Amino acid sequence: MADPQDRLPLTVVGGYLGAGKTTLLNRLLAEPDGQRIAVLVNDFGEVDIDGRLLESATDDVLILANGCVCCSIADDFAETLDSVRSFADRIDRVVVEVSGVGQPDKVAQWAHSPGFSPDGIVVAVDPLSIRDRVADRYVGDTVLAQLACADLLVVTRTDVAEPEALTASESWLAGVTEATVLRTPVPARVLLGPVPRKARPDDPAADHDHAAHAEQATDHVTISRVLAGPVSRASIDTWTRARPSGVVRAKGLVRVDDRPDDRTVLQVCGSSTTVAVDGPWDDGEDAVVAIALPGTPRAALVKWLNLLKGS
Amino acid sequence: MSPDSSSGTSPTTVFPARIVHTIDPAAPTASAVAVRDGRFLAVGDPSDLVATYGGTIDDSLADKVLLPGFVEAHSHKDTGGIWQHTYVGYEGRIGPEGQWWPGCSTPERVVERLREADRELEDPDEPLLAWGLDPIFWPGERFDRRQLDAVSTTRQIFVIHSNMHLATVNTALMEAQGISPDTMAEGVPKDAAGWPTGELQEPAAMFLAGKPFRSFFGRLRSDEALHKFGRAARNVGVTTVTDLGTSNLLEESTVRQWLDVADEAFPMRAAMFHGAVMYAPDGDEACAAAMVDLKRKSTDRVRFGNVKLLMDGSIQGGTARVRWPGYLHGGPNGIWLIAPDQVADRIAPYHRAGLQVHTHANGDQAVEALLEGFEKVQTTHPMPDHRHTVQHCQMTSPGQYRKMKALGMCANVFANHTWFWGDQHRDITVGPDRAARMNAARTALDLGIPLSMHSDSPVTPIGSLHVAWAAVNRVTPSGDVLGADERISVAEALHAVTMGGAWQLRMEDEIGSISPRKFADCAVLEADPFEVDPMELRDVPVWGTMSGGALHQAAARG
Repeated sequence: MADPQDRLPLTVVGGYLGAGKTTLLNRLLAEPDGQRIAVLVNDFGEVDIDGRLLESATDDVLILANGCVCCSIADDFAETLDSVRSFADRIDRVVVEVSGVGQPDKVAQWAHSPGFSPDGIVVAVDPLSIRDRVADRYVGDTVLAQLACADLLVVTRTDVAEPEALTASESWLAGVTEATVLRTPVPARVLLGPVPRKARPDDPAADHDHAAHAEQATDHVTISRVLAGPVSRASIDTWTRARPSGVVRAKGLVRVDDRPDDRTVLQVCGSSTTVAVDGPWDDGEDAVVAIALPGTPRAALVKWLNLLKGS
Repeated sequence: MSPDSSSGTSPTTVFPARIVHTIDPAAPTASAVAVRDGRFLAVGDPSDLVATYGGTIDDSLADKVLLPGFVEAHSHKDTGGIWQHTYVGYEGRIGPEGQWWPGCSTPERVVERLREADRELEDPDEPLLAWGLDPIFWPGERFDRRQLDAVSTTRQIFVIHSNMHLATVNTALMEAQGISPDTMAEGVPKDAAGWPTGELQEPAAMFLAGKPFRSFFGRLRSDEALHKFGRAARNVGVTTVTDLGTSNLLEESTVRQWLDVADEAFPMRAAMFHGAVMYAPDGDEACAAAMVDLKRKSTDRVRFGNVKLLMDGSIQGGTARVRWPGYLHGGPNGIWLIAPDQVADRIAPYHRAGLQVHTHANGDQAVEALLEGFEKVQTTHPMPDHRHTVQHCQMTSPGQYRKMKALGMCANVFANHTWFWGDQHRDITVGPDRAARMNAARTALDLGIPLSMHSDSPVTPIGSLHVAWAAVNRVTPSGDVLGADERISVAEALHAVTMGGAWQLRMEDEIGSISPRKFADCAVLEADPFEVDPMELRDVPVWGTMSGGALHQAAARG
C-alpha cells in the first residue's frame, strides 16, 4: 500500500453533455499553474493539446512537456487507478472526468482508494442551457442531482453569454444548490486548490513563490498561515462553521489535540469541509492555506484562519 | 467448412427417440433424427431414415424426448466462472459439475458454508471468496464482519452479494487492506463505535478490498470459467448461449481465448456481443469497424460482430428509468447509462455497418428514449431486417410494443423476474398493477413482435425450461399469479426459447429447430414438456444435450 503521506488528491469534474467539461479539462492541461496534473478522460478524441506541448503519446497516455499527463479511462476504473498509481511520483494530483449522465459523487468515491485522497467535486454548467436541461423530462433529475452534489460549480461559456444571462443563471444556481459558483476562466490553482505535498527538487512548481505568483496573476486572494502547534478539536468545529463567503479552497495539514501523533487534513472545497486523518504526523509545520474569490477581504480570511488554535 | 461444399459421404447416424418436437411447423413431430457432419440430415421414422440415407442407428436416446437445443439469448460469461467461488445464496442452486448447493437460508448457514470452504483451503494466505449473499431475506438481522470473523480471524474473507453491487468482508481483510475507522469513503458504513461494519457498497468501495477483490474478478476470466459455462448450459439443455456485453472483444486475447476454448468438443455455441458502452475507447465508428473485422473470425461455435448497449439499471435496484408515477417506494428515478440525447448517435455507426444492437432497457422511460433513438436512425438510415432487440424489456407498454413493431424490433423478455422478484415488484418497486403488466410476453406475441425470453444468468440461474415455466405460469414465490392475462402457452414459450432466440441472433437458418441442414443441436429431455402439467415444466429432467451431433450428458446431481 502506498505511503499515506503520498496520497494523490483526486478531484472529479462532472456536468451534463455540452456543459463545458472538456474545455475546462483542456485548459487545466494547457495551463496547470505549476502543478503536474493527471487528467483522466473518457474520450481521447475530445482532448485538444497543442502539439508543441506533447512529449510522448501512446494509445492510453499522453505525456506533456509541462509535467501533465492525460490518460484515457479504461473499461475497468480500478485498472485506470492502478496505472495512475504506477506514475504517482511524477504527478501532484489527479482530475477525473465524469460522463455527461454520470453522477460525480459516485465517481468521487473512488478517491478513497489506496494512494488517493478526495479533493472535491467540480461541476461545469452551461449558463445558457442549464434551465432547459433541468426541465427535460429525461435528464432533468440527473442534471439536478449533478448540481446538488457539487462543491464547486463552474459557469462556462462566459465568453459568449450576455452578462445578464450569466447573472440570471448564477442567481438561479444559488437557489438550487449550496455550491460555490465560479466563472471561467478559473486558474488551476484556484479550481483545484494548493498541492499539500512538499516540493521536491525536481518539482517545476518549486522554483517560484506560490503566493506571490498567485497575487500577480489573478485577483484571487491567497492567504497562508503557519500554526503554533496542535489545534483543538473545538477550534476546528468553530472554524468549519465560520467559513466566510468567497472561500473557494482551503487546505490544512495539522495536528489535533486529541490525535497529536496523526496528520489531520482540513479541506475546504467550495461548500464542503472535510476533516480526515490520513496517516502519522511527519514532523512538518502545522499550516493552512486558503484561496478566495476576487474581492474577498483579506482581513476576513486572516480572522477565519486565526480561529484554528490550541485550547 | 460449409456443408454445401462437402460431398456427403460422411457417415450418417440415426437417433430414434421417444418423440422429437422439432419446433418446425413443416414437420412438428418425428420419432428419429438423422445426423451427418454435425447437422440434421432429416427427421422421420428410424427405419425410413436408414432406408433413405443409410448409416447406423444409435439407440442411446431411444427413450428420450428431443427438442431443438435451447437458446439462452441473454446470459453472461460469468455464468460458469462464478462457481469457482463458494456459493452462499438463499435459494439452492446446482453448480456446473452437478453439485447441489442447498440455499443458505439463515446467517448461521452462511457461516457454516464458509467454515467448510475455509477448511478446504490449504494455503492460509489464500483469501476465501464467496458469492450470492442476500441479507434481504432475513430482514432485521445484522450480517456484517463479525459473522465472518466467526469463520476466520486470520484468513481474508470477501463475500459478494447476489446483486453484485455490495460485498461483506471480515476484520482480517480490513486489517490487511487498511480499511479502518479512518476510512472516510461513502460506501463504507460504520457502526456506532466508528468501525467499518465490513460492508462495502458499490465497486469503488469494493475495490478497497484489494487483492481479494481482484482475485474474485480475475478468476472469472480463466479458461476454466468458460468450460464451466459450457457445462452449466449443457446441464439445462442449452446449446447456444450469449455473452451479452460482458467481454471486451477489442482485446485480441479475449477473442483468442473464446476461439481456443470453443473447439468442436465444446458443448455449446456462443454468440458474443461486444460491450460497447464500456469498451469503445476510440468512439463508436472505430468500434463498429473493428466489429465488422471481427465478424470474419466467427466460427460454427463462436459468433462475433454484434454489440450490446445499456440504457439504465435494474428495477429491483431502483436504478431503472421509469415513467410516471415512478417507483412505488418513492425512491428517486434511476440512472442513465447513455444520455437519451446520444442514443441515435451511439446506435448509428453499428446500424449502418449492418451490426445488430441489443440494448438493455428495463424501465419504460429507458425504452421510450431508446425507441426515439432507433426511430431517428431508421429514418435517416433505413435498414431492412436489422433485428435490433430490446433486452429485458420489462416495463414496456403496449404502445411501446406497437412502436417496436413499427420499427422492426425484437423483444427479449426477462420472464424469470416474475418468479425471482415478482413479489418484490408487486409490494415494493412498482405495485401490483404495473407488476402484473411486466414482462408482457402475451402482448408482444399478439402484436407479432419476434419474442425471446431469458435468464440473464448468472443473475438468475441459466435454464430455459425455468424461463418458459415462468412465462407460462407467472407465479411468484408467495403463490400469486402475477398478470394472468400476460401468460403464454407452453408451445409459445418453447418457441421463444428456441426459434425466438435463434431469430434474434440471426441464426434462424442454423439453430432453433430440428430441421434439415441445421446444426444437430438438441435438448435431450427425460419427459415431454408438452405433456407435463404446465406447473411442472421447470421440473422436466434434462438428460443433457446434443451439440453438433455429439452427445453431452448432464452432470450427475451430487
